[in-house]
Amino acid sequence: MNRTSSNRILILGIGNYLMGDEGVGVHAARRLEAQNRFPGVEVLDGGTGGFHLLGCLEEYETIILVDATLDRHPPGTIRLIRPRFAQDFPKAMSTHDIGLKDMMGALQLLGKMPDIHLFVVSIENIQLQGVSLSPEIERVMPQLLEKIEHLASSLTSPAAQRMPQDLNPV
Amino acid sequence: MSTRIVVDPITRIEGHLRIEADIENGKIKDAFSSGTMVRLLEEILKGRDPKDAWAFVGRVCGVCTSVHSLTSVRAVEDALDIVVPPNAEMVRNIMFCTQYMHDHVVHFYHLHAMDWVDVVNALKADPKKTSELAQSISHWPKSSPGYFSDIQTRIKKFVESGQLGIFANGYWGHPAYKLPPEVNLIGLAHYLEALEWQKEIVKIHAIFGGKNPHPNYLVGGMACAIGIDDVSGINAERLALVGQLLQDAKEFVEQVYVPDLMAIASFYKDWGAIGGGLGNYLVYGDLPTNGFRDMASFKFPAGAILNKDLGNIQEVDLRKDEEVQEFVTNSWYEYREGKTVGLHPWKGESKVNYNGPKPPFEHLDTAKEYSYLKTPRWNGHAMEVGPLARVLVGYARGREDFKAVVDKALTDLKVPVTALFSTLGRTAARGLESVLIAQWGLEFFDQLISNIKNGDTRMAEMSKFDPATWPAQALGVGYSEAPRGALAHWINIEDQKIANYQLVVPTTWNASPRDGKGQLSAYESALLNTPVADEKQPLEILRTVHSFDPCMACSVHLYDEEGKHISRISVVGGE
Repeated sequence: MNRTSSNRILILGIGNYLMGDEGVGVHAARRLEAQNRFPGVEVLDGGTGGFHLLGCLEEYETIILVDATLDRHPPGTIRLIRPRFAQDFPKAMSTHDIGLKDMMGALQLLGKMPDIHLFVVSIENIQLQGVSLSPEIERVMPQLLEKIEHLASSLTSPAAQRMPQDLNPV
Repeated sequence: MSTRIVVDPITRIEGHLRIEADIENGKIKDAFSSGTMVRLLEEILKGRDPKDAWAFVGRVCGVCTSVHSLTSVRAVEDALDIVVPPNAEMVRNIMFCTQYMHDHVVHFYHLHAMDWVDVVNALKADPKKTSELAQSISHWPKSSPGYFSDIQTRIKKFVESGQLGIFANGYWGHPAYKLPPEVNLIGLAHYLEALEWQKEIVKIHAIFGGKNPHPNYLVGGMACAIGIDDVSGINAERLALVGQLLQDAKEFVEQVYVPDLMAIASFYKDWGAIGGGLGNYLVYGDLPTNGFRDMASFKFPAGAILNKDLGNIQEVDLRKDEEVQEFVTNSWYEYREGKTVGLHPWKGESKVNYNGPKPPFEHLDTAKEYSYLKTPRWNGHAMEVGPLARVLVGYARGREDFKAVVDKALTDLKVPVTALFSTLGRTAARGLESVLIAQWGLEFFDQLISNIKNGDTRMAEMSKFDPATWPAQALGVGYSEAPRGALAHWINIEDQKIANYQLVVPTTWNASPRDGKGQLSAYESALLNTPVADEKQPLEILRTVHSFDPCMACSVHLYDEEGKHISRISVVGGE
């Protein structure tokens, strides 16, 4: 994807695509990418990006992060969290959590923490292998995408209309 | 009596890594390295189109996001006898050099430096003295007293806010930290600068690979079109940016990374005699300059060294049935022919048979199988892979560029060549090869530009794109020198689909359990006799294991199931 300096909102799906439900964030990003209806909102499949994502996280004022979480909620539970510090991230995020938490710590250290809206989807088993989602998670996907889109659209209107449109592809 | 301590996890992305070590009289008497997370990528790939394999394997890890993809396309190209155009080779090399520099700098500053640099102690440094010291070791411009004093203020604020983040849970104040406050402050300042720098260099991946992380590869070449005036292709403006980023990276490696490495190493010369381990080193070779078939053209020459004998380099052949074999004697897998056989990866099997303790457990039963990693062997020998192996093979083969950087470092530190066989040697080798890689990256870039100027814009060889042109059966092996060491993928294509696919990754060579003959693998062997001053703060274990660069964020955090910070180790009683 081409990033532009004028894009201030990023939908970033995180996860390991090879580990079933653990990759729910990546699945969500790919589906949204295919049907992106909001000009000014970028979608990125961040995979297990770790440090590679730092530059990208800094570039946006607002980030809608989508990730799996292992918690005591039933699989498929969707929650929206507003973490401000690395330690506000939910307990026991999925297998790549340390990389992401460290990214947040690094952003904080650099004084460049974006405004983060984090959708977490509760999953059951991180040891699942495969590139498809379980029925429990597949069932809530439309709901997840709708919630993300709803948030993105509320964040883009009307304030975002003021953004300049000069393109500066990397 | 010995006490067993557990460090878990040490690494996180490529499966969790756990170390159990028996300590007696302040030294490690025995060590067990265990991968506690299963990885069955092989099963996911079976039955798929070989041309798509790179996209799946690229997801195996977020750190070496591109090296698995590169290795995969090389495996398929080997199987189908495809020779990629020179431009594609150069672009792959440039992306690989980018990956190396990114990985090595991030490893040094963000995953390993805090094993040597005491962050809290840096707050006591005198900014003026720090500035003088920094200017005496490097021409890097950010070195004024004001600069270092600002860094101190920033970190103080950070610490006082209680949001320690990445610096939480360090063993700050541990007696094994030996640096003066001024060196600690330089290390800390460059930790921050490296964070800023690393996000620039990876732009090269986005330019050539279309996206980052997980850039695009292509069987037959690269999926980027060269068009000097083309707005959407690889145009003059983007090429100029690549050249600039490579130049900046070289500057950073030469003026920041290596001077810091040498300054820090000079206070830890005792670690030049700790953590050596096996003394056997294996390199597959990489960075071709005249096509992948011409191994003599590789910037990283292949070879194997046994028993630290630099006078006798052995050749390596990944196709030979008896050379590389994987054993499962101490791994949670079973082979059809039983537990004692070794299998060449073309015949490899990945059937899991977990019989370890039910999690959560206190410690593993190391008398039985204790890891999800298989145990690879080269002609029956346990081998270390990685930067130290590469530097030693290049040096022992008499390559001038390797000799220049190695001899200079040995002279500057006033240590003998045997100091390389150690934890310090491993960490130093990573920096030294970075100097070479930074130069090579620019050479590859110049070569690419020169090809384009001569009118060669070919980027892919697509005559075998249609599976109808393939043989009914084909075997291939693709290999690379990933930042952490020798990596190879073996593919077996039948009826245009993947029939078998086996990966032997560097961390498997280094972190695997012992074999049926009781031979330890690299981590286990390197930990023997390592002093541990405080069993509750086994900083020394982290130094040695981290010197191998186990895949990903082996920083200083550990979370329990509730996500709370807990101590990085547990002492599970004497035995």
